[in-house]
Amino acid sequence: MSQFFEYLKMAVSNIRANKMRSFLTMLGIIIGISSVILIMSLGNGARNIITEQMSGIASGQIALYTYDDTGSYEITKDDIAAIKEQVDGIRGINSYMSISGTTSTKKGEFQVQASGQMASYMIFSSTGILKGRYFNETEYLAGQPVCLIGERDAVRIFGSTDVVGMNLDVMLWEKEVTFTIIGVEQAEKESMFTFTYENSPIYIYFPLTVLEQVYGMEFETYYQIYLMAEDGADTGTITTQVVDLLERRHQCIGEDIYQYESFNDYMETVNTVLNVVTMLISLVAAISLIVGGIGVMNIMLVSVTERTREIGIRKALGAKTRSILLQFLSESAIITMIGGLIGIISGVAEAFLVAKIVAAVNPVFAFTPSVSVVTVVVTTVFSSAIGLFFGIYPARKAAKMSPIEALRRN
Amino acid sequence: MNPLIEVRNLMKIYNPGENEVHALDDISLRIDAGEFVAVIGQSGSGKSTFMNMLGCLDVPTSGSYYLNGEDVAGLTDDALSEIRNREIGFIFQGFNLIPNLTALENVELPLIYRNIPAAKRHALSVASLEKVGLKNRMEHKPSEMSGGQQQRVAIARALAAAPPVILADEPTGNLDSASSKEIMQILRDLHKEGRTVILITHDNKIAASAKRVIRIIDGKIVSDTRIKEEGNQDIEAIAAKIEAEGE
Ligand SMILES: Nc1ncnc2c1ncn2[C@@H]1O[C@H](COP(=O)(O)OP(=O)(O)O)[C@@H](O)[C@H]1O
Ligand SMILES: [Mg+2]
Repeated sequence: MSQFFEYLKMAVSNIRANKMRSFLTMLGIIIGISSVILIMSLGNGARNIITEQMSGIASGQIALYTYDDTGSYEITKDDIAAIKEQVDGIRGINSYMSISGTTSTKKGEFQVQASGQMASYMIFSSTGILKGRYFNETEYLAGQPVCLIGERDAVRIFGSTDVVGMNLDVMLWEKEVTFTIIGVEQAEKESMFTFTYENSPIYIYFPLTVLEQVYGMEFETYYQIYLMAEDGADTGTITTQVVDLLERRHQCIGEDIYQYESFNDYMETVNTVLNVVTMLISLVAAISLIVGGIGVMNIMLVSVTERTREIGIRKALGAKTRSILLQFLSESAIITMIGGLIGIISGVAEAFLVAKIVAAVNPVFAFTPSVSVVTVVVTTVFSSAIGLFFGIYPARKAAKMSPIEALRRN
Repeated sequence: MNPLIEVRNLMKIYNPGENEVHALDDISLRIDAGEFVAVIGQSGSGKSTFMNMLGCLDVPTSGSYYLNGEDVAGLTDDALSEIRNREIGFIFQGFNLIPNLTALENVELPLIYRNIPAAKRHALSVASLEKVGLKNRMEHKPSEMSGGQQQRVAIARALAAAPPVILADEPTGNLDSASSKEIMQILRDLHKEGRTVILITHDNKIAASAKRVIRIIDGKIVSDTRIKEEGNQDIEAIAAKIEAEGE
């Protein structure tokens, strides 16, 4: 074993004696490894930021709906009460209806997207209150015309966020409704999912029951409701329980009347897609690594031929098959390992460079590349393995030479 | 006691079948420890082939070879490597140094393959280079040295591991006469120290340094003469005698 160090030293000294050639041989490995690292770290970075932003918006949210048009399967108020009572892990249930209208203030005429919500809206709203408060159960039951408005929208139509207590006249379905503003919601943190533009409508949120008061509509049933799971509760279990309950109550067990979408499932899908994309690109990078490995093999074969005489001398002086094998194998393993290390460093550097450029071009998409220790370890091991694998053939060729044949050749 | 080297009915046939070359044809001889033997013959007579057999670099077509009483025929490649490493110091006509290693590193090679630890290896190699007068050239690469110096490095390499047999194949073949004299002086000194030296040459003057001269023609031994110590005979006179015997 002590001799192993000697073979490493021989290998290193030979690599140093042929610096340019060794570097060019490494280049294939460097490019392969750095692409793998670049793609992995960009992929991880993107996944992290998507997860972060999505979970801020909708983690734990489940949408439950029915395509039934006979009316007999729509979700009733009693259904909702039963769900609340019988299924654990639910923080709140909501349903809403959005209608569009217009309003005019001193700042001009605006499109309005007015959204009638249940009192549990406060649970579903992800941003939090800047000023004032959410509407409560009493206001909901009474159908009071109160509303919430977003921070940016408040500035757009009133020039200020000090709007609590002010009235807002909105034309909805040819009727003018006067809402009293009771709260201003914080603006969402800008993310890759928020797009505001010049003519985007003003969003307001009010008790759904206002529509009953104003238009005499009856909201006894809903074709779509939203459940908010408690933190850490399993949305899968909750969904199954709720669907079971509804199917029992409407006597349609197993008929797939009720459909659902959970944002957690959605996140999983996004993750899967990202994984698949990362894997596919990594596969291409891995192929380039194999090409690099073949380059190493090629150069090692040339080197063995060139150094036939050296091999003959070493054998004449007492080198055994194993000694020559280890010497040449060390050479290719060291070349690919150094190539791998340079590749890792340059891959990480490239990833940070790409992230910097993205952040400069569009801050909304800014993210931090993330390189896992596992990736680094795996790629290092993999690159050395490539060196060993592609080095075996040339090394065996060298090791098996007969000393007399090798010495005879010039 | 066993002779150091004993070969019996050694044959080497190149290209068996068509174009056969009987490079060695039924050679038998013994060489004892401490002898200084010259093998002489014309170019193509089979000297190098014989040296390759004695050095375990190649295996005979038939016949047997006992080195230190050990039957060398039928050993594996790795076993032969080990014998070369332990028993034989080679000196080649073309020096056969590894170009990108320094003189010291070249001398260390056989010691590395003998698993001698670094410190001891270094000491032995330095001592060996000192012996051939190259202590001040240890860090030089072969390309930075004259032919004579390179051959002295090769001798240092052959000596470093103190093998019982020194095999020199035309060691002065590529050297000018001044360097040749130096090299031959070293070989004579080695013999005086008690080492066995087998010298292969086509040059009678070179052979004249030896104490026993074996002449080969067409792969056969035609004469095996011990040179008598007759006072202060000079090399020229001995060479003339060898020459005369050859006729
Ligand atoms: N590898 C070989 N293949 C075929 N013939 C060879 C080979 N090596 C040597 N010979 C032949 O064997 C004979 C002896 O060669 P060699 O031992 O090199 O002679 P010397 O060293 O005395 O000049 C020559 O005729 C030579 O051509
Ligand atoms: Mg010859």
